[in-house]
Amino acid sequence: MILPMSRIRILAPVGILPEVLERLQDFGRLHLASPAESADVLLMEPDRAQERHLRQLSRISDTLRSTLDRLERDPSLRLPAPTLPERAVLARRLRRARRVGRDVAREAERRRSLEEERALLARYRLYFSSFQALAEAATQWPDAAAYHVILPRERQRPVSLLREGLTKLLGDEFEMWTQELETGESAHLILVSRASDTRLEELFREARVEEIQLPGVERGLTPVQAIPRVVERLEAIPGALAEVATRMESLRASSRAALQETEIAVNDELERAGARGSVGLTDHAFVLEGWLPAGLLHDLERSLGERFGDLAVLEEVSRAEWAGEEVPVTLHNPRLFRPFELLVGILPLPTYGSIDPTPFLAVFFPMFFGVVLGDVGYGGVLAGAALLLRRNAVEGGVRQSVAEIAGACAAFTIIFGFLYGELFGDAGALLFGMRALALHREEALLPFLGLALAIGVVHTLLGLVLNLVTRLREGRRAALGPGVTLFMVVMVILAILAAVDVLPGAFFTPAVIMILVLFPVLVVVEGILGPTELVTTLGHILSYARVMAVGTASVMMAAAANRMVGTLGSVVVGSLFALLFHLVNFALGVFSPALHALRLHYVEFFGTFYSPGGTRYEPFGHWMPETHSPSREDA
Amino acid sequence: MSIVWTSLAAALAVALPALATAWAQSKIGAAGAATLAEKPELSATVIILVAIPETMVILGFVVAVMILLGGGG
Repeated sequence: MILPMSRIRILAPVGILPEVLERLQDFGRLHLASPAESADVLLMEPDRAQERHLRQLSRISDTLRSTLDRLERDPSLRLPAPTLPERAVLARRLRRARRVGRDVAREAERRRSLEEERALLARYRLYFSSFQALAEAATQWPDAAAYHVILPRERQRPVSLLREGLTKLLGDEFEMWTQELETGESAHLILVSRASDTRLEELFREARVEEIQLPGVERGLTPVQAIPRVVERLEAIPGALAEVATRMESLRASSRAALQETEIAVNDELERAGARGSVGLTDHAFVLEGWLPAGLLHDLERSLGERFGDLAVLEEVSRAEWAGEEVPVTLHNPRLFRPFELLVGILPLPTYGSIDPTPFLAVFFPMFFGVVLGDVGYGGVLAGAALLLRRNAVEGGVRQSVAEIAGACAAFTIIFGFLYGELFGDAGALLFGMRALALHREEALLPFLGLALAIGVVHTLLGLVLNLVTRLREGRRAALGPGVTLFMVVMVILAILAAVDVLPGAFFTPAVIMILVLFPVLVVVEGILGPTELVTTLGHILSYARVMAVGTASVMMAAAANRMVGTLGSVVVGSLFALLFHLVNFALGVFSPALHALRLHYVEFFGTFYSPGGTRYEPFGHWMPETHSPSREDA
Repeated sequence: MSIVWTSLAAALAVALPALATAWAQSKIGAAGAATLAEKPELSATVIILVAIPETMVILGFVVAVMILLGGGG
């Protein structure tokens, strides 16, 4: 549901404004709103000195953020709201933040470069090991220059060209050894006399062949000379990395707490400065207005009373003075439904006074998912995946919500699996004699289509009823159009059911007469868009046929997977293919029903009553480093 | 012969909407990819938009099933 809000107004002498703002910041639940300006009440604006001070605080905040992002904030550090340090202290902290920021950046760069070097050396060590075997031949050529070349797999063809080119250039005054590497590349050692090396380098340039060069190892070393250096360097890198880690830890220990404390204090001050923009001023007093969850009104009253006594007056603004569109929206649902707020959150928030669709989505989304996938085996696998996802998930986080939604979907999938008699398609029937309790989907296509459309009728009518309820809140006149539409949709459905002999034929004529009578009423009340909406609504009901179509495709694919066991000759090969096919079908079977169930809600169901465009509830409170969405109630 | 015509009709009932769906999804998909490059937070909305034209092929499938079941195929 959408949490009911109260609009409140606080009146107090200008002198205690800073204390009142601090108190409200501690309270942390008031969404500020500017009071209406008049000749007596003007909105507060900062003077030049204040503006300069704020700009300075913003710069300090940026520096602190950048340093602490690198230093990594300590999440366990829960400081009491600190007061803003004096200017001199603040300037010292800023200098310290800059210095620490530079040190941290340097250490991070050093760590990155060491890790890169380690990866590179480890790779070239493998290459050089392969050259070591080849290089034994080099000892026979004491006055030769050695060239080490690695050619990737896609350039294997130029090897023959390289040999041809070398013969043409140097005659037989060279030796070339080649060794295939495990990586698919080929390593080449080329020995030439010192007199010929310039010509060889030209040839390399023409053929665009590059000699490998190790970081930190001088050029021209033979592999026998280079490998000990590489090993030595590789052994030294972990120590250098440990030194970097120690220096980073020391920077954290010496500066992080103080910088984090300053960051909170500075940003809290900036938040309060922002709040001052919503304060109205009279000659001697200030007016502060805002929105508060209705249940917290007395808590705020008590909190202000304890601190300021009669100096600060809090009053609730009468409902007649404000309109629904201004009110910030926060959703508050029972624990069972709360994960589904994630799915509602994909759309813009509903407006205040409209209906929160979360409870309906929480019931129908997993149900639709189950109707489509409906398989005990797939449901079991999904439940396992949901449990895995749920483990170690942060309380109230996205991962936990996704796991809980998956869990609900798995439960409905298993229930409908029993109703359809499906366990990995028809494997349950073939192996264990499982029978459908309600509907055998592989054969009963038309009854399944009927079920899908019946779900569509119920879901769409529920949407129309919710629309009627919302409009009734605005007055009877506003509800007339939705009421007529709802009634006509019911009449059309009755007429169709009577025409196809699902209902007695006696229903047909009265239903058609009602449609004919109500049609002009609908045009008068809703205009020409009324009949269009009516036809669209009927089209939406037909759209629920996708439940049957996607469900049938899923069960047919599962059955096709099971047929593989018998048709591929070998039972083992067939079983492997069947398993693979079931895996693919499971992946599709999870993605497709989720997508179509969502679409049926967003387009068909929400389209009938959902009213998007609500303002996010953003209460004035203490600054927090992580992005926190307060528009969804945690309590 | 009747089975041939019934099967052909059912095949067309799926094939033509499938082509239409593919065409529509290609257009929406391309526009969606461009949208995501600028606003990645709209990914859920884009997925829904891409799924919308599937109604055509799904209804085509339903019609094909009805043709096959009702056409004596």
